[in-house]
Amino acid sequence: MTSPAAGRAAPARPLPYTSERHLQAWQWLVEEAYLFDQQRYAEWLDWLDPGIRYVMPVRVTTARNAGFSSLPGMSHFDEDLYSLRLRVARFETEHAWTEDPPSRLRHFVTNVRVFATQREDEIAVQSYVLVFRSRGDVREAALLSAGRDDLLRRSGDGRLLLARRVIEADESVLRMQNLGIFL
Amino acid sequence: MASLLEKKNAGVCAGHGDALPGLAGLTRDVRDGMIPAHIYNDPDVYALERDRVFGRSWVFLAHESEIPRPGDYVVRRIVDDSFIVVRDERGTARVLFNMCLHRGMQVCRAELGNASHFRCPYHGWTYRNDGALAGLPFHAEAYGGERGFARKGQALLPAPSVDSYRGLIFASLSPGMAPLRDYLGEFAFYLDFYAHQSPAGLEVRGPQRWRIKANWKIGAENFCGDSYHTPHTHASAVETGLFTAPKASKRKEGALYFAGHGGGTTYKLPPGTFEDGLRHVGYPGEMITAMRRAWSPAQQRLVGEDGFMVSAATIFPNLSLVHNWPQVSAGGLIRPFISLRQWQPVSECETEVLSWFAVDASAPGYYKEQSYKAYLLCFGSSGMLEQDDVENWVSITSMARGQMARRLRLNSRMGLAAGGEVISQRPRSFSGPGTAYVGYGEHNQRRWLSLWADCLDGTAQHQEGR
Repeated sequence: MTSPAAGRAAPARPLPYTSERHLQAWQWLVEEAYLFDQQRYAEWLDWLDPGIRYVMPVRVTTARNAGFSSLPGMSHFDEDLYSLRLRVARFETEHAWTEDPPSRLRHFVTNVRVFATQREDEIAVQSYVLVFRSRGDVREAALLSAGRDDLLRRSGDGRLLLARRVIEADESVLRMQNLGIFL
Repeated sequence: MASLLEKKNAGVCAGHGDALPGLAGLTRDVRDGMIPAHIYNDPDVYALERDRVFGRSWVFLAHESEIPRPGDYVVRRIVDDSFIVVRDERGTARVLFNMCLHRGMQVCRAELGNASHFRCPYHGWTYRNDGALAGLPFHAEAYGGERGFARKGQALLPAPSVDSYRGLIFASLSPGMAPLRDYLGEFAFYLDFYAHQSPAGLEVRGPQRWRIKANWKIGAENFCGDSYHTPHTHASAVETGLFTAPKASKRKEGALYFAGHGGGTTYKLPPGTFEDGLRHVGYPGEMITAMRRAWSPAQQRLVGEDGFMVSAATIFPNLSLVHNWPQVSAGGLIRPFISLRQWQPVSECETEVLSWFAVDASAPGYYKEQSYKAYLLCFGSSGMLEQDDVENWVSITSMARGQMARRLRLNSRMGLAAGGEVISQRPRSFSGPGTAYVGYGEHNQRRWLSLWADCLDGTAQHQEGR
């Protein structure tokens, strides 16, 4: 993970694992994973801040001193609310063949670290995610391992909403036939 | 014929000629548009392809804009062979086999970067970025200096053939290739719609890379001519409003063309001028002005008078292009995008897809960002149209594995009568070169597969001594 709460002055140490905010963020991520695995994407959209930025850079193998490990200007995902809604709307149609029959999905979420930010209504959250995806009865299942840097923002009604997510995949060449899933 | 072939290719693909009995029948069926289904998942066919298709064709490696400055490099493959594509200190793009002359270590293990020299991690042999051997440790002590090992003239092996067109760098494992421009032939006319929208040419970002359990040919064929799949496979994209164009009625009015070593699909534009057509697909005025200057009168007529706009295309063997124009905002803004994509074979049943976003380098900044969004929505690792396609291709590959697939010849004769005469109509007016038909038809896939068959049985025109 390159930058906890990228662009914000986050303290180096996470909040205690017993703190209220840590527990809230952890529960948020596990519940989100449940929605993903059930493919209840329309409900997930309600968990997003209207100004959401959802990005998954393309990781690349570079020399240690190169100073970068993601492609400049190109991501796997670089989404706002419009494009995320469109992706979800597509799955809701009867003709999204890529997920009909649906994948069997399991998002394993671990290594949750929560950081206070300079804003009272925001917390920065790091997590690891391992996605297991099985399709049909012939193909081998696919795995995707990634780290996530999230910014959760409290909305007017007190709910935590995802305002920004940067997904850092651990492979430069994904071994998954498509990203017809969310992370 | 068969025995003659084996002699002709002796030493090139030793062992594989024998491994594919019935090659003559296979290529005959393919040329006839009846495709033996097993070719989409057959290790013996793949072994032959590796040598005779990928060993003897121009294969795309990189775009010049990926390595703009001296020392910039990317590492790319032609099937199993790794090459460093690097701009040397004098500004020349080089394609160097990524294997140390001494013990065969992979010299450069990064995917991209900038380097004046490449040092082998094993014994420290060092090469300049033009490939020349610059130094080796203990030259005097270990080799007795120049007397034991003359450094002069030693260099990483260059690719046997390297050439470029409109910034697209190709290489070939065969030393006797015709120039790339000749190989592309009249397809260059169509390539310019993607790669020469202004004198500035393309700039590319990427590639996204991912592996799919599909045979490499399926994507290449799909992009060169399968307008028939669009209304059904991509129904969900139309339904959500991402696309208005791929509706069945629009797709079947488009023209298919094949010219030189490539072919592709087009959409029919609503009636109007050259400017109207380009505005319809979302180009801003200043880009249209640039296109008018960059494109020949015939190229402009194809858009303005004939009313056709290029969409998907494939250059044989495995580089595809796509140009589409989805809605990129809730407000209904339409923007086009261009993508280059390569179907890099890993085995007979697995392909690495490399997908680049490409845009005219002189386009305004706001346009580049909107076009990039359009690309991400539609193609690439997360692209919605790409998702639909890959699911199909993986299934086909899996079905092609067994014994029953050896009994099935897939009917790819759309557009032909039983006796072989062409049923498809020519466009009323079509200013581009090559052969064009209107509506659905598998003419292009047959042409593409015929080029493939020509490589397999050694009758390909572009190859040395033929």
